[in-house]
Amino acid sequence: MASAYHSNFIETSINAAVSFLKESVFSDEYASKKGFLQSIDPRMKLATSAIFLLVVLFSGSITVIIYFYAVSLALAYLSKINLGFFLKRTWIFMPLFSIFIAIPALFSIFTPGETLTSFEVMGLHLIITRQGFFAASLFVMRVITSVSFVILLSITTRHFELLKVLRIFGVPQMFVMVLGMCYRYIYLFAQVIENTFVAIKSRAGTDLRYKSGRHVVAWNIASLWYRSYRLNEEVYNAMLSRGYDGESVIFNDLRMRLADWLWGLAVAVMCAVPIILKCKY
Amino acid sequence: MANVIFELKDVHFSYMGKYPALSGIDMTIDKGEKRAIIGANGSGKSTLLHLLDGLLFPGRGTITAFGKDVNERAFSDQAFSRDFRRRIGFLFQNPDVQLFCPSVKEEILFGPLALGEDKVETRRRFEQLIDTLGIEELLDRSPHQLSIGEKRKVAIASTLIIDPEVLLLDEPTAGLDPLTARHIIDLLVRENASGKTIITSTHDLHIVEEIADTVSVFSRDKKLVKSGPSLEILKDIELLQTHNLVHIHAHRHDGRSHVHSHEHPNHEHTH
Ligand SMILES: Nc1ncnc2c1ncn2[C@@H]1O[C@H](COP(=O)(O)OP(=O)(O)OP(=O)(O)O)[C@@H](O)[C@H]1O
Ligand SMILES: [Mg+2]
Repeated sequence: MASAYHSNFIETSINAAVSFLKESVFSDEYASKKGFLQSIDPRMKLATSAIFLLVVLFSGSITVIIYFYAVSLALAYLSKINLGFFLKRTWIFMPLFSIFIAIPALFSIFTPGETLTSFEVMGLHLIITRQGFFAASLFVMRVITSVSFVILLSITTRHFELLKVLRIFGVPQMFVMVLGMCYRYIYLFAQVIENTFVAIKSRAGTDLRYKSGRHVVAWNIASLWYRSYRLNEEVYNAMLSRGYDGESVIFNDLRMRLADWLWGLAVAVMCAVPIILKCKY
Repeated sequence: MANVIFELKDVHFSYMGKYPALSGIDMTIDKGEKRAIIGANGSGKSTLLHLLDGLLFPGRGTITAFGKDVNERAFSDQAFSRDFRRRIGFLFQNPDVQLFCPSVKEEILFGPLALGEDKVETRRRFEQLIDTLGIEELLDRSPHQLSIGEKRKVAIASTLIIDPEVLLLDEPTAGLDPLTARHIIDLLVRENASGKTIITSTHDLHIVEEIADTVSVFSRDKKLVKSGPSLEILKDIELLQTHNLVHIHAHRHDGRSHVHSHEHPNHEHTH
């Protein structure tokens, strides 16, 4: 069974990726906990998240952004989200952004200015500038904070509630429908990959050869696209059959309570704090 | 002719003009009837139900429903289209297709909302249906994450909620456990007793006698070979044999009484 370990490598990593996807996109685990954000009406939650995002995106002050990052962590804590899980989910995107934007910005080639430190790599004399350092940290903090708010919103709200809110806010039905379908397809997609590996294993044992595995996965993905095409056509029939005639259909059973308005007010106050403290926004 | 719901005359249909799916079907379905459509895989049962629901239209021949022609032009009249959709409910063979809303609750309420049904009446039927089908705890789930049987129950609820006069049922019991299948059949039979016309496509000869007074047998060459009273058709082993339906039937003969041997035990459990 020594070779099983090797051939399982692709399988393990694909399975890990799939379960990460399922856990972070499809799990209702956090959405069904009784925490703070979970108790807020999804409309108010979407609106306040949008405010937080705008403030973070347009603020040029690192102090203000760090302050909002602290707010997001406090919210995660109040919403019974495991902080380790939350940090992992938010920082996971960081390396990608850093390599392409933040790290280049550090250096004098991209951000000219006062020298902070300099060193030599492979005969290249590199200078990190003070301005570059600030630009890079501002960038990193801004991305992290925005991502934190987006993740907070998405893991404390069931996805159908989010779609519903989009409808209520006047996003066209077709657009929301397509979003919903994407969600379904990603789910289907994750399942196809998972099932494929189970199916290969049940037929070929654990000794999965890379090439044949890849072949089967490719075939399944092709048939998935075909299936989704057929599905679309049939789904449209099913909608017609139940009386859909192009008019939008919204089912709104949401109720705004006093607590939701208070939260809206609280967010406004939080955004005003830096101004009151005379921080530059 | 007030009693006739569907009338088909020499109906032909082929997919994309090259895959024949129905050929030369003549058929009349009366109000309040229980009709079963049986036949081998690919004999055109689902296609027929799509035609009856006005989702596909015959390439040749005519279909009338409630005395009016059913064709593409008729559906551009919104009053006709609404009336038609309100009076006919279709349970699709593949529940994955039928469930397209993000949550079960929205799924069930889609029809009444699209048709602008009365809210109070809808609420009443909604409560009643989730109770009968036992799907209370599924209401906040995503339909596509349910088991096949649960999906089918949700699909049934979303079809029955508009209280249609005619129910088109494409293999309503496929993939259900025996007890659930029993419940569903009882529910459908009750709906029929209260005046609904039910048209069911199935391979399951066990349920045919209950859900049909009349059976239409389709052949692999997409033709209607025979229609008749269900008892008569179920006895015609030779006919069933030639249309791939026999082995289920032979199995039924194991007991003493060939019709009731399997249904009876379940009946006693549920009542
Ligand atoms: N979307 C489609 N495109 C092309 N051909 C199709 C399509 N749907 C069905 N057919 C063909 O039409 C014929 C009738 O299919 P239909 O689905 O009506 O059969 P069925 O009796 O319902 O079968 P089953 O018992 O398997 O559900 C089959 O030969 C099938 O291959
Ligand atoms: Mg079929």
